[in-house]
Amino acid sequence: MSQLTVDSAATWKERLEGRVPPHLTEEIDIFETQIAQKRQGKIDDKVFAETRLRRGVYGQRYDNGQRHDGTASRALEYPCGDLTKGPNTVWDAPGMLRIKIPFGAMDAEQMEALADLAEEYSDGIAHVTTRQDIQLHFIHIDDTPDIMRRLAAVGITTREACGNSVRNVTACPLAGVCRDEPFDVSPYAHALTYFLLGHKDAQDFGRKFKIAFSGCEQHACGLANMHDLGAVAQVRSTGNGTRRTERGFRVYVGGGLGAVPHQAKVLREFVREDELLPLAQAVCRVFGRLGEKRNRARARVKFLVAKLGIEEFTRLVDEELAILPSDDRWTAYLDDLSITDEAPTRPPATLESGPRAEGFAEWLGSNVQRQRQSGYVAAAINLPLGDLTSAQLRALADTARRFNGGLVRNTVEQNILLRHISEADLPALYEELHAHGLGEPGASSLVDVTACPGTDTCKLGISSSRGLAGELRKRIATSIRTTGVLADEAVKDLRIKVSGCFNSCGQHHVADIGFYGVSRKSDGRTIPHFQVILGGQWTENAGSYGLAVVAVPAKRIPEAVERIAGLFVAEREKGESFQSFIARVGKARVRQLLDDLTKLPTYLEDRTLYSDWSDPREYTIGDLGVGECAGEVVTAVEFGLSAAEREVFQGLLELDRGATEAAAAKAYEAMLQAARALITTENIDIGTAPEEIVGEFRIRFYDTELFFDPYAGAKFANYLFRVHGDAETNSSEEAHRRIEEAQLFIEAAHACNQRISEIQAARVA
Amino acid sequence: MDMESAQVPDLDTLVKFDLKVLAADATEVEAEEFIPVFHRWITERLLPELLIDVADYSHVHDGPGVLLVGHDAIYAYDLSRGEPGLLYSRRHESGADLEGIGSLDDRLRSLLDCAYRACDLIEAEPQLNGRVAFDRHRLELRVNDRLFPADEKTALTLAGAFQRALVEAGVRDGDAAVEVKRIGEPRERLTLRTG
Ligand code: SF4
Repeated sequence: MSQLTVDSAATWKERLEGRVPPHLTEEIDIFETQIAQKRQGKIDDKVFAETRLRRGVYGQRYDNGQRHDGTASRALEYPCGDLTKGPNTVWDAPGMLRIKIPFGAMDAEQMEALADLAEEYSDGIAHVTTRQDIQLHFIHIDDTPDIMRRLAAVGITTREACGNSVRNVTACPLAGVCRDEPFDVSPYAHALTYFLLGHKDAQDFGRKFKIAFSGCEQHACGLANMHDLGAVAQVRSTGNGTRRTERGFRVYVGGGLGAVPHQAKVLREFVREDELLPLAQAVCRVFGRLGEKRNRARARVKFLVAKLGIEEFTRLVDEELAILPSDDRWTAYLDDLSITDEAPTRPPATLESGPRAEGFAEWLGSNVQRQRQSGYVAAAINLPLGDLTSAQLRALADTARRFNGGLVRNTVEQNILLRHISEADLPALYEELHAHGLGEPGASSLVDVTACPGTDTCKLGISSSRGLAGELRKRIATSIRTTGVLADEAVKDLRIKVSGCFNSCGQHHVADIGFYGVSRKSDGRTIPHFQVILGGQWTENAGSYGLAVVAVPAKRIPEAVERIAGLFVAEREKGESFQSFIARVGKARVRQLLDDLTKLPTYLEDRTLYSDWSDPREYTIGDLGVGECAGEVVTAVEFGLSAAEREVFQGLLELDRGATEAAAAKAYEAMLQAARALITTENIDIGTAPEEIVGEFRIRFYDTELFFDPYAGAKFANYLFRVHGDAETNSSEEAHRRIEEAQLFIEAAHACNQRISEIQAARVA
Repeated sequence: MDMESAQVPDLDTLVKFDLKVLAADATEVEAEEFIPVFHRWITERLLPELLIDVADYSHVHDGPGVLLVGHDAIYAYDLSRGEPGLLYSRRHESGADLEGIGSLDDRLRSLLDCAYRACDLIEAEPQLNGRVAFDRHRLELRVNDRLFPADEKTALTLAGAFQRALVEAGVRDGDAAVEVKRIGEPRERLTLRTG
């Protein structure tokens, strides 16, 4: 055995002394002290929860110490006893650590550090997120200070990765090599990241704040439209009669997905590069000062912009700008815009013909794109569900070192991009990647399904987004291999995105075909479903958002995908995009196409529907033992909720034909119907007058908090109250939002109904 | 930092070990088949420790396969290096059956007990129908904590203790030397392999 590493110490703090910047050492030491204080009961639960969140230390499913094992909900008896790390969050329960990777850029040393941490503290997997972060799961809170030290030693921070703070700043993964961009946005993303990190004006938000940079308007990579603050690169003439141009950005504000998506509004048509940081600071100040603090459901910037109107919001930002004390950092970084430059390490050369490994041609066609630097390409690594092992990460670090000096970028599609690859090196690169299972073709295509963590690890997950995404990947790959309908050229580049709940972390609103998890009751039990979302637009920086068409049982979603794709292949017109096709044939047609899939068999007829993908546990048992009387009431409620769903669908059709007023009216009516259906469980004589329904709903379901979502609280109930107070609208954006809200209100009514059934069942028992 | 004065942690205090028992023949079984098996282990509390959840990474190339996550350890039908096997990855020692572990020898013996117990359960698992068998002589022992020096001294100490634990567990008879060799690259965790 040979002599190996001799670097040794009793603690990581000692081992890394001198390698972690002093300010980070201090920050992490403070966090370690806070952990000790919490253990001694010297910090309030809520305060500690926000403290750890701002350090990227997040909760994970079952951290309340309860887990349903398919037959009953059981207590997980952790050794820590009553010790908690936040309200209802058990100390010893495994958690998630979110690691900020600004604009997705990682070097080889960082990849190696992440690989080490994943295997020592997590489950051996590094997960690339839709915000270019890396997440590690099953982490114990006691380990987090050491993990942070080891990350800090390679220039990575988890600070403000979660919590009410400025989250990871994202940017096009092609920034700097893209043929469409006027200039590389990377140094600006870098500057804004570190300017706002820990900035005093960004510490008092009611919710998170997300920023994205994009190199161009037309492509999706930056998704600037769906962010709290989006910056799209522009150049313009200086106008002095010369040909000189200046760099700047079109700046958007108030976009966001979440339960009800909002398209961002233009805050400034053109902001010079030297004005960007102060503008962002002023926006943070306005958000910090006027953003909602108490009602989390309405605390994002999008609600503030909607409430004030973009003109007033702009005026307030201008007012702040006028009084901001000057800061050298606003422009200092402009002297060093090369800070994020990546110089190729291999000479440019064209790809000569010659013998190639099997699979190379397909991979080349789908995963490789030319850079604006002649002779170089960017090659995408298609990661299944955004996952890669420590061994793969280490191998990737080596490969990157060999072919481009060791640099990669994470993408918002949960892949990794190797840039500045000499074209001539592609066959060798492919062989290396392939040897480590990183040579899958189909990046950014139909098979490359994006999914949020869903019920695997997320506390809010309703359905298994990763389970479904994994199944879809398998089926699509098989269909392509066997030249089934999903192999057709027409569907090849469609995007599928899956979220485990309405919160939209899987970005389902901007997919061609999107899904979000919901549940439905049948036969006294609960069945996992997904809402099918159509009409979203990935291009033009997430140019428009899709809407729900119908909820289909989770296990039947692959069939639904095949049918929708089949319809498109069979009936599309020449050159017609999927989005235009859906607009032309109409959502009613798609709903009809999927109608039989929504019919639910009884438990005895087909049990498979009563569990989720990749999880054999029965989905729920809450209704077992429900008496006959309750059963009848439940049936009546379900009937009413189904009528509400029909109503909202009619609203969707009105919206499609441009009848915004009618669409909004249908959304309102749908909410009333859903509320009325619930009221019938307690007052069978409830009338149909809106005033009566809303009044009864308030007393029976709002004041009692029966309707409250366990996490979103009163959010969905407030949708009804708001629309009831102001039913009319002419704006198509508002009508669109109302349809979304009505769908979510109905989902909340379904969930409420389930809770009522469980309460009744418990009483009967 | 002054390396001379640095404290080297005592191997007797090392908790985080991985022990992998390689499968004798696993051509007949898919990793996904372990998902319902591990869920059932949780429901029926088949192990004397806190089991939390199942994680499916069967989609990842040569990855951790399917995991049964517990508080004290992660069990996995592991596919790393392309060699399926039962991985037992110890993280804590809070369970009643791990009480009183005070030395490296005790700890290695208990690792073998825990890993072999899981192997026994899998081999007897009705849903797998005898399609998985483990070779209890082909083992990988890994130090899952880079604070401990991955040097020759550690490897030799560990190899000696491992040999004693194997003899005690009846895997080797007292006379036969345990062939323990180091595998993997220097930057990987210190890993010994037998058989
Ligand atoms: S969309 Fe829902 S399930 Fe998915 S990660 Fe977000 S909150 Fe969790």
